[in-house]
Amino acid sequence: MDLIERYLKAVGAQLPAAGRADILAELRDLLMSRVEEREAELGRPLTEAEVEAVLREVGHPLTVAARYGAGPQHVVGPELYPWWLFGVKTALTVLVLITAVGAVARILFGGAEVGQAIGQAFAGLFESGLTVVGLATLAGFIIERQKDKPAFLTEWRAKDLGMFEVGVFSRRWWDSLHEKSGGGSLAETDKVLDASLPKMSPTAGALGSATGWGIFLLWWSGLLGLGFRPEDLGGELVRGEVDYGLLFADTVALLYWPVVVFAAAQGVFHLLRAVTGSPVRLTAFGDVVFRGASLTLLGWIWLYSPFASLIRVDTIGAFIDRTETLIRTGAGLDTILMLIVAGAFVGEVFALIGALKKLLVGK
Amino acid sequence: MGETDLYEALRLELRRGSLVLAVLARLKTEQYGYSLRVALGEHGLEMEESTLYPLLRRLESQGLLTSEWREEERRKKRFYRLSPEGAAMLGRLEAEWRRLSASLDRIL
Repeated sequence: MDLIERYLKAVGAQLPAAGRADILAELRDLLMSRVEEREAELGRPLTEAEVEAVLREVGHPLTVAARYGAGPQHVVGPELYPWWLFGVKTALTVLVLITAVGAVARILFGGAEVGQAIGQAFAGLFESGLTVVGLATLAGFIIERQKDKPAFLTEWRAKDLGMFEVGVFSRRWWDSLHEKSGGGSLAETDKVLDASLPKMSPTAGALGSATGWGIFLLWWSGLLGLGFRPEDLGGELVRGEVDYGLLFADTVALLYWPVVVFAAAQGVFHLLRAVTGSPVRLTAFGDVVFRGASLTLLGWIWLYSPFASLIRVDTIGAFIDRTETLIRTGAGLDTILMLIVAGAFVGEVFALIGALKKLLVGK
Repeated sequence: MGETDLYEALRLELRRGSLVLAVLARLKTEQYGYSLRVALGEHGLEMEESTLYPLLRRLESQGLLTSEWREEERRKKRFYRLSPEGAAMLGRLEAEWRRLSASLDRIL
């Protein structure tokens, strides 16, 4: 009966200590009963192969032990699976967008070959995609094993369902990709439904923003590889005597922790919006804070960053002169950067005024 | 999935819920795991051991069964029987089964 003991040992190794001896004693009785029944039928002792056949009928030790487990027998169960799938699709969509922007930036500014950039983008996307799927599965595994179901499974509100119906994240959007790639066509009713879809609710928008900032934070902090790091975006761009790639890498290094804090705060803020139903004043307050932070960042780039010596001008006249030179000659990457930073600053000022107004008026 | 596989999947789904009822009903009289499996098989309700034994433990942990170890046929065996809570639960499930069966009879 060595085989039976080995079998029981293998089952026992998978069982929790509490109740192990009890379960094994019962299984031993079951196996012995099965063997004795078979021996009675044949009128002789069983061969080793026949005992093994009995064990196989009872089941593999891993399967048998798992059935005695108290918890769920799946990583992500049927109730949570649609959420898992939706989260993975959303995150992958954001990853594709970030990767595409990064690849274009590296081709335009980093001097990368098109083929090389595309190859790296695919490699990075594959690695990041696996990381996202792994993290989502880990989250699903943990959620499945909680005593209470999370609130989003049971306490959802009809007015927050916009996110599940709109464009990029919808089933119809994925289906339309299939259609464009030569697959079947969308039903007419689906097309009509697409046209009448509601706009994304503030709560759904907040969840989308939180996801986006979360992925950005993972990428910025290096936890999510996309085939390129933030400091790589400047590439090896050299114009004249200025090494823009080096300046960009230095700027990224100096901004590492401020951006980590900024992105983490954005993620937490948007989650808070999603939880509270995104009230106008809370949203406006966050906008004021984050617009202020953006203005500070742009001011720093203008005055103190490694780019400051290239883009800073102290008078309106000098600003206009440089802009005119750019228009006339078509050359001057430093002036283009100056215009981008100045334009972003003005845009943020207007956005800050709008947010302050919303904060005061409340609508 | 072929038609046979589909039938088998649907048949198993149909049977799954009724097995608990069958086990509870058979345990009005005391049985140990193996004899229970044989008894169910004789009534056309074959159950794999790897399903039956964990089910017995779960029903016991839910208070619907009681068990005790006793020696029989030169070996120690664990005998199960319906607890008072299990008997009450069996009554309720039996009523539900009959109601469901009658409804299905009318539909079919």
